[in-house]
Amino acid sequence: MNENEIRELFREMRDEPVPADSLARVRAGVDQRIHRRPWLSAWKIAAALVMAGCIVAGFVLLRPARKPAPIERPVAPEIAQVLPPVEIPAPPGVPVRTAPRPKRAQPRPAVEGVPVSIRIETPDPDVVILLVN
Amino acid sequence: MGEIPRETTGSRHCINFDQVVRQREAQVLRTAFRILGNWADAEDVAQDVFLRLHRHGLDFANDGATGAWLYRVTVNLCFDRTRSRRPSQELSDVPSLELSAEAGVLIEEKKQRLMAALAMLPVKERAAVVLREIEGLSTAEVAEALGSSEVTVRSQISKALVRLRGILNREEV
Repeated sequence: MNENEIRELFREMRDEPVPADSLARVRAGVDQRIHRRPWLSAWKIAAALVMAGCIVAGFVLLRPARKPAPIERPVAPEIAQVLPPVEIPAPPGVPVRTAPRPKRAQPRPAVEGVPVSIRIETPDPDVVILLVN
Repeated sequence: MGEIPRETTGSRHCINFDQVVRQREAQVLRTAFRILGNWADAEDVAQDVFLRLHRHGLDFANDGATGAWLYRVTVNLCFDRTRSRRPSQELSDVPSLELSAEAGVLIEEKKQRLMAALAMLPVKERAAVVLREIEGLSTAEVAEALGSSEVTVRSQISKALVRLRGILNREEV
């Protein structure tokens, strides 16, 4: 077979028909793969979301348990409630007992013989101010 | 297949894509078959080519540009496929000429032997021969499809024809 024969055979091959079933398969395949794409992408997104969820869940579940640090809350200041004294009415006929009043310590008497015009008592029973004329 | 480009905009594009598929499917499938040597792979490549066309859109200057783009993508996908597999067994055995004496059958036998010999060539030489000699593209168009220079294409075709002649004559002896 020489070069011209080879070229002639190639030229004859140019017009050879393509099998109809192959063409049909190509069309069907293209059609299917184009239509499948939105579903595929949705499926991929869903798979990615599920995987991300699994990873997060794994982190949460497998993390070593740690006691949460106690939260220090500011202690509310205690407000002493001052209630007015409740007067309990004494039943009639029963004498009311009152607590004995503490006796005030009597100051010492002033020095006798010294005329005192003003005498001022201080809270300290031992100290008395005397104004002498 | 009229609903194919659902993701693209406009019904005009939809009709055009459908038309392009119908006009060019034989070209794409035949070219892929000549390079790959079997219909199953050729069908897969043809599907990939049209999916790429769908993604690319039809922004071509003219019909020739569309054809050139399709040839280029077809050849590149065939190259990718041949890289990932061993040479096809479907055409690797060159049938003997002594099988039949009838003239019509003889020509078919010759074609089969030629295709088998073609399958033995390096894939770039094979693609150059397919595009130039079978598809009838010009050397410039083949160079564009293969992404090489016209000089390289001429050299590849010349070498390929010498190899083919050698393979076929060796078989005839």
